[in-house]
Amino acid sequence: MVSFLFDYISVNTFWTIVLVVHALLAVATLGALTHQAMSVALPVRQATDPAGFVTRFRAVYGAGYATAICVLWVATFVVGAWIYTKYRIAIRIPLERTGYWKTLGFFELKEHVAALGLAMLPAYWYFWKNSKNPIYDSARKAVTLLLAAMCWFAFLVGHVLNNARGFG
Amino acid sequence: MTAVVDPGTATREKRTSSLASPSLGTFTIVFAIAAPVIYVVSELANLPLFTYHPGTGRIDFGWAAARANEGPAMYWYGWIATMLISSALLGALTSRFLPGLGERLPLFLIWLLPLLALPILAYALMPFWTR
Repeated sequence: MVSFLFDYISVNTFWTIVLVVHALLAVATLGALTHQAMSVALPVRQATDPAGFVTRFRAVYGAGYATAICVLWVATFVVGAWIYTKYRIAIRIPLERTGYWKTLGFFELKEHVAALGLAMLPAYWYFWKNSKNPIYDSARKAVTLLLAAMCWFAFLVGHVLNNARGFG
Repeated sequence: MTAVVDPGTATREKRTSSLASPSLGTFTIVFAIAAPVIYVVSELANLPLFTYHPGTGRIDFGWAAARANEGPAMYWYGWIATMLISSALLGALTSRFLPGLGERLPLFLIWLLPLLALPILAYALMPFWTR
C-alpha cells in the first residue's frame, strides 16, 4: 500500500516517521487526559485570583475533553498497532538476542494496558456525555483516573523501549 | 407575536436525550464490563479470533503456531478482535432485550475488572520476568 514511498525514503525512515506520529498522538492523549484527570481529582471549587499554574491546569472543563480523548486514544492505538507488526520482527528479535527480557515484558504488558483502555472508552465517553447525572460521578472519576494512569504507563514504557532500540 | 426558535435547539435536545438513553448506557456499561473478562480469557485460553504472521503477512483463523522459517506468530490482534466483537455483541443483545440493565449493574466493575486483569496478564508474561 505504501511501498511507492520507498522509492523516496528508506524503510527505516518511513517507520521512524510513523513512530514519531504515534509518539505525538500519545503526547496529545497524555496531555488531555492529565488535564481531565486533574480536573476530577482536584476540582477547582471557586475562582481564585490570581490563579497559579496548578490551579489553571486543573480548572479545565473536563466534559469538553472526552470525545477528543476517545479519538486520540483510538488513533494512537491504531498507529501503534500498525507499528507493532514491524516491531515484532525488527525490534523485538534483536532485543531478545541481547537479553532485554524485562524491557520486552513491560512492552507486552503495555500492549495489554492499551487494549484494556480501549475497552473502557465507550463507558468513559458515555459517563462524560452525561456529566450532569450524579449517579455516574464516582465511576466517571475512577475511569478517568485509571485511563490517565494507563496512558502514563504506556507512554513511559514506550519511551523506554524506544531508548533501548528504535527504528533508526 | 411570533416565537423565535433556535433551529439548533431541537437537534441538541434530541442528541442529549439519545446520549442519556438507557439502551446506549446499557450497551456501553455491558461492553466495558465484559471486555476485560473476555480479553483475559481469550489470552489465557488461546482464543484469538485470528493469528497474524508478520514475517509473511499470512493470517490464520483462530490460534495457529508459528511455522518453521516463517518468523513469529502474533496473537494480540486476534485477542483484541475477540474482545471487541464479543463485547459489542453482548452489549447490543443486552441493550436490545434488557435496556434497563445498565442502571442496575454495579458501575465499579468498569474500573475494577481492568485493574484485576493486569496482575493476571502480568503473570501470563512470566517468561519475560524470570529469564
